[in-house]
Amino acid sequence: MIRKLFFSAALCATLCILCFKTSVAQTPQATPPPPASPRSGKFPTPVDQTLPNGLRVIVVQRTESPLISAQLLIKNGGEVDSPELAGLADMTASLLTKGTQTRDATKIAQEIESLGGSLNSSARWDSSFASVNVMSSKIQPAMEILADVVRHPTFKSDEVERLRQQYLDNFTLALGDPGAVARMVAARVVFGDSPYGHPVSGTAESLARISAADIAKMHSRFYRPDNAILVIGGDINAKDGLALATKYFGDWQKPTTPLPAVSAAMESAAKGGRIVVIDKPDAGQAAVYLARTGIDRKDPDYFRGIVSNSVLSGYSGRLNQEIRIKRGLSYGAGSTLDARRDVGPFVASAQTKNESGAAVADLLLGEIGRLSSAPPADVELTPRKAVLIGNFSRNLETVNGLVGQVGSLALYGMDLNEINRYINNVEAINTADVQKFAGARLDAKTSNIIIVGNGKAFLPDLQKKYPNVEVIPVSELDLNTALLRKKKPSAD
Amino acid sequence: MVRFSIRLLLGACLLLATQLASAQTRMPQLKFADRTLTNGLRVLTVEDHSSPTVAIQVWYHVGSKDDPNQRSGFAHLFEHIMFKSTKNMKSEMMDRLTEDVGGFNNAFTNDDVTVYYEVVPSNYLETLIWAEADRLSGLNVDDANFKSERDVVKEEYRQSVLAPPYGMLFYLLQAKSFAEHPYKRPTIGSIENLDAASLQDVQDFHSTYYRPDNATLIVVGDFDSKQLDSWVDKYFAPIAKPSRSLPRVSVKEPPRKSETRLTEYGHNDLPAVGLTYLTTKRSDPDADALRVANAILSAGESSRLYNALVYTQQIAAEIESDDNTLEDAGLFIVGAILSEGKKVEDAEKSLLTEIKKLQDAPVSAAELEKAKNQLITDQLRERETGNGKALALGEAAVLLGDPARVNTDLARLQAVTAADVQRVMKKYFTDSNRLVLYYLPEASKKGGQ
Repeated sequence: MIRKLFFSAALCATLCILCFKTSVAQTPQATPPPPASPRSGKFPTPVDQTLPNGLRVIVVQRTESPLISAQLLIKNGGEVDSPELAGLADMTASLLTKGTQTRDATKIAQEIESLGGSLNSSARWDSSFASVNVMSSKIQPAMEILADVVRHPTFKSDEVERLRQQYLDNFTLALGDPGAVARMVAARVVFGDSPYGHPVSGTAESLARISAADIAKMHSRFYRPDNAILVIGGDINAKDGLALATKYFGDWQKPTTPLPAVSAAMESAAKGGRIVVIDKPDAGQAAVYLARTGIDRKDPDYFRGIVSNSVLSGYSGRLNQEIRIKRGLSYGAGSTLDARRDVGPFVASAQTKNESGAAVADLLLGEIGRLSSAPPADVELTPRKAVLIGNFSRNLETVNGLVGQVGSLALYGMDLNEINRYINNVEAINTADVQKFAGARLDAKTSNIIIVGNGKAFLPDLQKKYPNVEVIPVSELDLNTALLRKKKPSAD
Repeated sequence: MVRFSIRLLLGACLLLATQLASAQTRMPQLKFADRTLTNGLRVLTVEDHSSPTVAIQVWYHVGSKDDPNQRSGFAHLFEHIMFKSTKNMKSEMMDRLTEDVGGFNNAFTNDDVTVYYEVVPSNYLETLIWAEADRLSGLNVDDANFKSERDVVKEEYRQSVLAPPYGMLFYLLQAKSFAEHPYKRPTIGSIENLDAASLQDVQDFHSTYYRPDNATLIVVGDFDSKQLDSWVDKYFAPIAKPSRSLPRVSVKEPPRKSETRLTEYGHNDLPAVGLTYLTTKRSDPDADALRVANAILSAGESSRLYNALVYTQQIAAEIESDDNTLEDAGLFIVGAILSEGKKVEDAEKSLLTEIKKLQDAPVSAAELEKAKNQLITDQLRERETGNGKALALGEAAVLLGDPARVNTDLARLQAVTAADVQRVMKKYFTDSNRLVLYYLPEASKKGGQ
């Protein structure tokens, strides 16, 4: 049993922040000794090159452990799924490792695992990826397999059927988990029928419709060197990294057709202000979510946004202070500001006993509002910025974290040197910035509340306060549409 | 998507300190210093300047197997209380000293140990040494804080056991698998036992188990060894070692005499089946072969269980196995969440078939090598960070009784042969040593299956 859920273990940091003051000590034991002067560290510098076929190759060296992580990113993911084929991008990416022209699924797993390596592929929002993580002595054969699965997948029908069934089972499992249901409903409430609205891994209905031909078409449209980025990080230098990329991806032909045009416009679906309850009588706990639109990754307010989010989130963030530490209402409350190519979601959440569902919804709304009405003074803000900087720095300590961060900057067309400006950018944010961001971008009134739980336990309290509560029994939930409710069956 | 996680309940943090040298790969050795203060505190340190941070851990040799009578879940509840007011710190001050300066802290409790850990910029090391010494020397918790934190732990119970569709399955697998040993009480405990706990229990537990001779301090990272030694001497050495003896669990789990079969119902939509076998304690030489067997059964998509049940037969949506060797006993768990429309009896049969194959024939050299490579790479990944290195060192020192095993376990694992794997499969995976738990949807009970 872990005390907190927020942090993954890892380390590194370059912190120069003195943020608590010690009073005069009476005895050497009674007050903490003050910190010594800070020491600094530096992050590796990514080396960025492009092969003649258009493949962008980024190498970032970190030699502390004999591991290498390589990630091949395709610059499109679930957002290009058509509404009736939700889950297509994710199924396509997952199927890469299930058979190529020269290897079947069993052989792929056998070969990569014999190297002690791991090979993963899936689609997310804005990107699809295949990646390997392996001891540096095994990178050559691992890279050969990575290139093979990206370039020569076969999408055989028996593999499509097998994966479809696994996705259907996973969807069924997700429907049993209040938190997972709340996440899927929140996306529909915020994004309606626009591209980020559907579950990225599909629904029972959409999964049933996806054909092997759809998958092959998705692959041929988007998986091409001029729509891809290869990030190699860890125990390898830039020259060797580039040679590796050239050896396995250099002869990947760029199609003569232009890159597919992807409609960039996201309709802003939602006015907000909805209170949606998914009544799940057997839920062991209620999942309470506040969800609304947030920002895109290129928004000039990005750093104001992530610092504002850090005031709310994390162990000592305001949400957890109010919900867990002061009131014992949850094991953990927090929030995420997910900045995507287009405007992504802001989500604040906590799980609580069913009886406290309404109280926690109030607290979430209250804390979002308080961010602009009572913005953090320096004494509160400085530590929250330190949290952000520390998490960022520790994340760069593992090869997977390093490759993930660099890949994300590259995907969104950001300057890779932002890694080395991150700390200054965070430190520059002040109280007025947070207040401005919260007021303009995180208005409580246009936020939505989603509660998935046993309605009987919290609905009376909730309805007293919010007359506009929409209640949908879980048996009538339809994640395929913004309506969220299955059409009434016509008399049959 | 939902993962099948045995780890949440059977060991908060599964410390897979498995290791093996591969001819081509340099396996960094952990060069540690080892000393014991006169009050019994063991201090293990690794100086490593690769980043300007430091990882600090204190391992207390007390876990949920030491929960007081009728206080199941107490060791874990106590772990939470250790973040409330101590002798010289007010509530949540540990967060001020870590999180607020860009570090973090956390803690976990499992059946055998309770571990507190922090990672901070290295200029804060002395501060944290002081803070850890302070909470070892005394707690000062009031009733309001105690009750509010107890509510948090009850929410943790709901979140890990009641809310996830298979949370209760793993809770039951452990609870039903031991007849006598206190391992039968899952670490998270029960709501009624948590409700029965009092502030007096907290003080008693602290004075019984939180003493220097029951603790191991581990520091990995950017420090000067002489300076660190002087801080440890300054803040920890004055803490007295109590004269009374430390209680230890002496209950031995009796061998099982015949197969046990159970059926339980939950709010899961897909049925599941779990098998458990009593094996052996972590320090037993058989533990290495069991670890390799576990990797062969379930590590990755080329593993036996995944390949048979998920890929080929498509009978399961998820499979998992866990060798789960604890300080006093081992509980090997093998399980599957079924695919839609499949029968739990058939899944059980498939699991048993895969177990029998490992008993009937030795694994090939290639399959053995694959499992070892997977285990080494896992270890390399664990040791990418200072906190991970400290966890590996703590496990060797506290659970295996010898910190040097952090480096020498490599050779032990390398020495495991195909015959060893076959031998342990035959020795422990017998019919009479089996518990079978069917975990079925509540709806199937009413309908009559």
